[in-house]
Amino acid sequence: MENQGSNGVLLRTVGLTKRFGSLVANQGIDLAVKAGTIHAVLGENGAGKSTLMKMLYGVYKPDEGEIYMDGRPVTLHPPSRAREKGIGMVFQDFRLIPAMTALDNVALAAGSGWRFRRGSLRERMLEISAKYGLSVNPDVPVWQLDLGQRQRLEIVKTLMAPNVRLIIFDEPTSVLVPQEVRAFLDMLGLLRKDGFGILLITHKIDEVLACADEVSVLRAGRLTYRAERDEGWTAERLVSAMLGERTPQPVTKRDRAGKRPTEEARRSGHPSEEVPRPEPRFADMPPEALSRMEHPSEETSHPGCPSEGPGEVLRLENGAIAGDHGELVLESVNLTLRRGEITGVAGISGNGQRELAEALCGLRRLKRGTVTIGGKPVAGGPREFLEAGVACVPEDPLRESVVPGFTILEHMALEGIPLRRRRMGIDWRHAREALEASEEARALNLAEAGRRADRLSGGNVQRMVLARALIRRPRVLIVSYPSRGLDIGTVHAIQRQLIGLAESGTAILLFSEDLDELFKLSDRLMVLFGKRLLGPYDPAETDAFRIGERMLRGETA
Amino acid sequence: MKTEADLLPLSPQAARAVGRLRPARKIGRQIFVFLAPFVLYGLFLLYNGVNPWELYVSMVRSAFGDWFGFGETLIKATPILLTGLAAALPARAGLINVGGEGQLAIGALLATMAAVWLLDAVPAAAGIPLMLFAGALGGALWAGVTALLKVAGRMNETIASLLLNYVAVFLVGYFVHGPLKDPHSFNWPFSPEIARQLRLPVFDGTRLHIGFLLAIAFAVLVWLVLAKTGTGFRIRVLGGNRIAAERAGIRVSLIYAGVLLAAGALAGIAGMIEIAGIEGRLRPTTGATYGYLGFLAAWMAWNHPLRLLLTSFLLGMIAVAGNELEIGSGLPSSSVHMLMALVLFFLMGGARGRKA
Amino acid sequence: MIADILTGALRSGTSVMLASQGELISERAGVINLGTEGCMLAGALGGFATTVWTGNPWLGALAGGLCGMLLSLIHACLVLDRGANQLASGLTLMFFGIGVTAFLGRSFVSEQIVGFNPAPIPVLSDIPVLGEVLFNHDPLTYLSMLLVPALWFVLFRTRIGIILRAAGEREEVLFACGVNPRLVRYAAVLAGGFLAGIGGAQLSVAYTHSWVENMTAGRGVVAVAMVIFAAWRPFRAMLGAYLFGAAQALQLTVQQQGLPISPYFLFMAPYVLTLAALLIVERRKRSSVPEGLSRVFAADADG
Repeated sequence: MENQGSNGVLLRTVGLTKRFGSLVANQGIDLAVKAGTIHAVLGENGAGKSTLMKMLYGVYKPDEGEIYMDGRPVTLHPPSRAREKGIGMVFQDFRLIPAMTALDNVALAAGSGWRFRRGSLRERMLEISAKYGLSVNPDVPVWQLDLGQRQRLEIVKTLMAPNVRLIIFDEPTSVLVPQEVRAFLDMLGLLRKDGFGILLITHKIDEVLACADEVSVLRAGRLTYRAERDEGWTAERLVSAMLGERTPQPVTKRDRAGKRPTEEARRSGHPSEEVPRPEPRFADMPPEALSRMEHPSEETSHPGCPSEGPGEVLRLENGAIAGDHGELVLESVNLTLRRGEITGVAGISGNGQRELAEALCGLRRLKRGTVTIGGKPVAGGPREFLEAGVACVPEDPLRESVVPGFTILEHMALEGIPLRRRRMGIDWRHAREALEASEEARALNLAEAGRRADRLSGGNVQRMVLARALIRRPRVLIVSYPSRGLDIGTVHAIQRQLIGLAESGTAILLFSEDLDELFKLSDRLMVLFGKRLLGPYDPAETDAFRIGERMLRGETA
Repeated sequence: MKTEADLLPLSPQAARAVGRLRPARKIGRQIFVFLAPFVLYGLFLLYNGVNPWELYVSMVRSAFGDWFGFGETLIKATPILLTGLAAALPARAGLINVGGEGQLAIGALLATMAAVWLLDAVPAAAGIPLMLFAGALGGALWAGVTALLKVAGRMNETIASLLLNYVAVFLVGYFVHGPLKDPHSFNWPFSPEIARQLRLPVFDGTRLHIGFLLAIAFAVLVWLVLAKTGTGFRIRVLGGNRIAAERAGIRVSLIYAGVLLAAGALAGIAGMIEIAGIEGRLRPTTGATYGYLGFLAAWMAWNHPLRLLLTSFLLGMIAVAGNELEIGSGLPSSSVHMLMALVLFFLMGGARGRKA
Repeated sequence: MIADILTGALRSGTSVMLASQGELISERAGVINLGTEGCMLAGALGGFATTVWTGNPWLGALAGGLCGMLLSLIHACLVLDRGANQLASGLTLMFFGIGVTAFLGRSFVSEQIVGFNPAPIPVLSDIPVLGEVLFNHDPLTYLSMLLVPALWFVLFRTRIGIILRAAGEREEVLFACGVNPRLVRYAAVLAGGFLAGIGGAQLSVAYTHSWVENMTAGRGVVAVAMVIFAAWRPFRAMLGAYLFGAAQALQLTVQQQGLPISPYFLFMAPYVLTLAALLIVERRKRSSVPEGLSRVFAADADG
C-alpha cells in the first residue's frame, strides 16, 4: 500500500485515463492535492479539465489509473461515494433547482435521513455564510437569485455537506464580474486557511498567478506542466504550456478613429486586411433566388430614414419587457442601432439579456414601448421581424435553433437560403448550390451540407447558425454570446465575420459575457443593470473596470 | 459551457448501447420482442381453458386463408389506419392527439345525420361524397375544439383531446337516444338505417368496401405532404424544435390548428366509413376503441404514414382474432386488447434508444 | 339539495381524489402516468374480488392498491428502464387495464358485497349541514381526507419531499447529491399506482358496491387532468376532484328532481367542467410545472 498521507496529501491520482469512443479526453493524469492549499488546473476549453473533475467527483468512472485518498486507494464513482469520502464540487452551471428555495436546496444536498429541521439547518447555513462572506437569503427561490448569488449558494451547499475536505471549483469566476472575483479569491484564501484542499479549474492565468499554491496545466487531455509557487512560474511559461506551439492570431481591432466611415470609404476599401470584404452574395444567381431577400436587402442599400439620426436602423423606445414568470425584467429601455455599428451589451447574466434579445427578434412581446426598424414601427411575431430584416443568433443555438435529425442544408433553408418551389415540393438541389456558392459558409468553414446538424460539435453549430444569419445579409443582427465555450480559432473566425458584416452596413447588437470581446468588437457599449440599459459608452473612453462597476452597481457607482 | 462532451460523436450512453448490440443478438432480440407477447398471452389463454395454438392458427388462417377473412382484416385495419394518421400527422408537428376516438365518433354522428336527414334521396355519386364531407367536417369540428383549447387556451392537447373523447361519446349517446333515434327501433338506441345507395360499394364475396382504398390514398397523401412539400417541411421543423420554428418565423399556431383540423377530418372520415361501409346506422358504440388503436398503430410506426399501413394491418389482424375468440371460445372480445397491449409493451421495452 | 350535492361530491369524488394524489406524487417526480385509468380499474376489480372472497373490505382496499401498484410497475419499468415514451406507455397501460379487467371481471359482474358503508362519526355528524357533508362517509373517504395534509407535509416539509421534487425538476442535481433519481421515480410511480388502485377500490367497494366493465369511465384521465389543474398542489387537487364529484352528484340530483335535461348532458358535465377548470388555470403564468415534466410534453411525439 502506498503511503502518501504523511505530507498532507489529501488526494492523489496515478495515470488517470478516460476515453469516449475514439476520443481520449484524459491520458495518464498524475495529480496531488494537499490539504490547506489551492491547486489550480489550468487549460483551454476542451483540454479535458471537466472530464478530470467529473472523474474526481465520481460522475465518470476512469478507464485506467488509480485514485488515492489519504494514501489509500479509493473508488469515487458514483458521486455518492465521492461525497462520502469528503469531496465536494461547485459546478460551473450549478447543481441547483430553480423552483425551490435556497434552504430547500441546501437541505437536499447537505441533509441526511428523511426529515430535516428547518430551524437548525437555517442557522448552520447562516453561520457558514457569515464565516466565509457568502451571504444568501435562505427563503428566496433560486430562480430569483443572480448568478453570483447562485454561486455563493452552491458553495455554502458544498461546505455544509458532512465531512467535506476537498472542494473542486469548476471555472468559478466565469459567472462573476471583476469586482466579485476579488471577493471570491479572498474567500478561497479563507477556505485554505481552514485546511480545505482546493482544486481550482480555470482557463484564466491571472487567477492562477493571484492565488494558487500549485498548478497543473492540461493540454489536449495530457498534463504538460506542473509547478509549485516557490518554483517561480511565469505567465509566459503557463501560456506556452497551455497553448503549445500554437500562437493565437488576434483579431484586429477596428479602427476607432474612422469609426463612422462614409459610404464611399466603406465601398472603396478597408483599413484592415484581416476583415473580409463582403461581396454581393447571389450575384450570379437567377433573380428569383433573391426573392425572399429582396425586401431587406433593398432597403439596406438605401440607408435609414432621414427623419431620425444618421444611419439609424432600429430604435427601441421606452420598452418594457416581461420575463418568463410575468415579472418586469426591463422597464423603459431605449436603444438605437445604427448602420455599420456594433453595439455591445455587457451585464451580469440574468439581467435581461435573453429577454431583450428575444424582444428584438419578435419572440417576446413588449409590455410597453415601440420598436421601429427603418422608420417603420414593427409589431408582432418573429415573422414580422424577419421580414423587417432582423436576424438572430440565439444564446444556445443547439437548443434554440437546431432541429434534431435535420441536415445542415435543411437548417440553412429554414432561415438563410431562400427556398424555391419545384413542382409540388422544394427545390433542394438549388438550395444546395446556393449554399455551396455562399462565401460566408466558406469563410466560417461550415461542415458538409448533408450532415446532421444535431450531431455537430458546439463550435460547428455556432458556425452554422452564424452563417445562416450572415447569408441573409440582414440589416440588423442580434447576436448572443457568439464565442461562448468555443476554441480560440473558431472565436476569431466568428469575430472577423461579425466585423465584416458590420462593415457591410449591418447594425449589430452583441451580447457577451466576455468584456475583452466586447471592447474588441464594439463601437458603443451599453450595460444592463437594474431593469435598465445604461449607456451608451465609448469603449475608447472607458475601461473594463469601469464597465464592471456599472454592471455591479449601475451609474450611481 | 460546452465541454468535451460536445466533441464526441456519441454520448457515452449511446456508445455503450451501440456496443451492446451485436447483429446476431439484435436479431434474436427482435424475435424475442415479437414472440414474447404471444407466448405470454398463450399462457394466459391456457389458464383460461383455451388452446392458444389453435387460436393463433385460426387467426392467421382467418386473416390470410381466404378472401373473406383477408377482407375482414382490411375492414378492421381501415379505421385504424385513418385514426392512426390522425395521430401521426399532429405528432410530426410535435402534438399528441389522443382524440381520434372522439373525432371518429363525431364524424360518424355528422355523417349519419347528413345521410338520414338530408341525403336520403340523393344518388350515390353526390350522396357519398357529401356524406364523406360531413364526416370529415364532424371530425374536424371536434378536433377544432382541441385546437382552440391548445392555441387560444394554451391547454395541453393530450389531456384536452383525451377528455373530449368522453364528451363525444356522451354526445353520440344523446343523439341516438334522442333526436336521431330510429322510430321503429323498439327503443333500442340506434339511428335509422341510411339509404341503400349511400352504402359504400363492396367487393364480391366479402364485406370489404372501397373505404380501405380511400384510407390508403390518404396515407400516401399525408406522406407526400410531409415529405415533399414546404408545408410538410415546416411541420417537421416545428415537430423537431418548436423554438427553432418560432425563430424561423413559422406560424406555430396556424400549423398547430391546421394539423389538428386535418387530423380530425381524417378520423371523421373513418367514422363515416364505419357508417357507410359497415354498420349502416349509428350506435352508441360505433367505432369504439379505434381511436386508441390508431394512436398505438401510429406510435408503432414511428408516426410514418407508410409504415402505418403495416402496423394498422397488424392491429387489424389482432382485432379480427378478438371476434374469433369471442365466437370460438366464449371469451370476451375485449380480452384481445390484452394481446395488443402486450405486443406494444414489448415493442416499447425492446425499442430503447432508437430515437437517439 | 346543496347539502346533497356536497355530500355526493365527496362520495363520488373520493376515488378521483385518491388517484389524483397518487398521480401528483408521480408527476412531482417527473413521470406522468396516463395509465392511472388502468391502475384504477385494476384496483376496482382487485378490491372487489378480494372483498367477495374474504368479505373484508379492508383487505379489498389493500388488494386494490396492490393491483394498481402492480400495473404501474409496468409503466415504471418501461419508462424508467427502457426509456419508453411516457404518454404512449401510459396509454397502453390504460388499454391493458381495460382489457385485463374486462376479461378477469366477467364472473364478478353479478356478485354482491357488503363492502364499506357510511359510518357517521358520533357527535361531529350531528352538526347541521356540515356534519352531513363531512362526517357521514365510508372509512376510506375519511382516510383520504387525512391523506391530503399528510402528503402536503411530506412534499414540502421533509427531505423526502425535497428529494421527490428534485427528481421531477433536475435529476442531475439529485445525482450530484448522491441520490439515484431513478429509484426515487420508481418509488413515486409505484406509490401513485397504489393510491390509484385504492381509489379504484373505493369506487367498487365503497361507492357502487358492484363491479361493472370499464366502471371508472375516464376517472383516471380526469385525475391526471386534475393534477395539472391543481398546479401540482395536493389541496388544490383535492378541490378539483371534489368539483368533479359535485358535477357527478348534480347529475343524480337533477334526475331525482325530474328536471327536463337530457341525462347525457349531465354525464358530460364533469368532463366539460374539468376542461373548463384546466382552461382557467392554463391562462395563468406557468411557473409551477416541474421541469422534468415539461420536458415530457415538450419532447417530440415521435416516441
